[in-house]
Amino acid sequence: MRRIWNRLVAMAYARLPFLSRWAARRLPGHAARAVPWATRPVPIPQATVALVTLAGVHLKTQLPFDMQNPDGDASFRIIPGTVNPADLTITHDYYDHTAADRDVNVVFPIERLREFAVAGWIGNTAPRHIGAMGHILGAEERRLVAESGPAIARLLREDGVDYVVLVPG
Amino acid sequence: MPTVVVGVIREMFERTPAPRSVVVRFRLGQVFGEPDQRVQQRAILADALSVLITARQAGTIVELPYRWKRSVYADPL
Repeated sequence: MRRIWNRLVAMAYARLPFLSRWAARRLPGHAARAVPWATRPVPIPQATVALVTLAGVHLKTQLPFDMQNPDGDASFRIIPGTVNPADLTITHDYYDHTAADRDVNVVFPIERLREFAVAGWIGNTAPRHIGAMGHILGAEERRLVAESGPAIARLLREDGVDYVVLVPG
Repeated sequence: MPTVVVGVIREMFERTPAPRSVVVRFRLGQVFGEPDQRVQQRAILADALSVLITARQAGTIVELPYRWKRSVYADPL
């Protein structure tokens, strides 16, 4: 029943943008000066670019994200850069992914990124990309900060990624 | 590692700043636009990649001018 309710709320948020803005204004804030800042002297046409999506995207063969835990699921899935979008699915009850189910590029633009690489607009598509989910609270938020986040950073560094495009979903 | 986040809710980035944020006033769950609209998706992705280079300080928010179902997009390729 809770999952049905979550999906109904997600549909409402998608169709009534003021709800999202209202919820966002209630978030605890933090100053921009606390935000890390990194630069890299690699021109985009020579850069390796990775995607990290929090839209619940994963391979159909991978374990779905846990929708039973009200705090969400801080785990992540590795998505190969050569993935066929038909092999992807979405597990996420907290946003309306009807459009993304039809075309995953609206939340995980892997085909668009590959087109940029072929055209020389970027250097390379990263060999591995990340699928995770948003709606992370409580203990799962702590797990994200202590475990998943550093693991994702290590993985991307191993792959020589220069830039990352993050998509909250 | 430089990052840029692309989202639809500006207020989210104002409250919890990221190094570089790109806002597109689209529907939640459709950050890069409509299904199968390749030019639209490429245009937004290209804009996001550009901000990786043009942003000069943490907390930069760039709002794209596109309007849901009303804009015309130039293909960056």
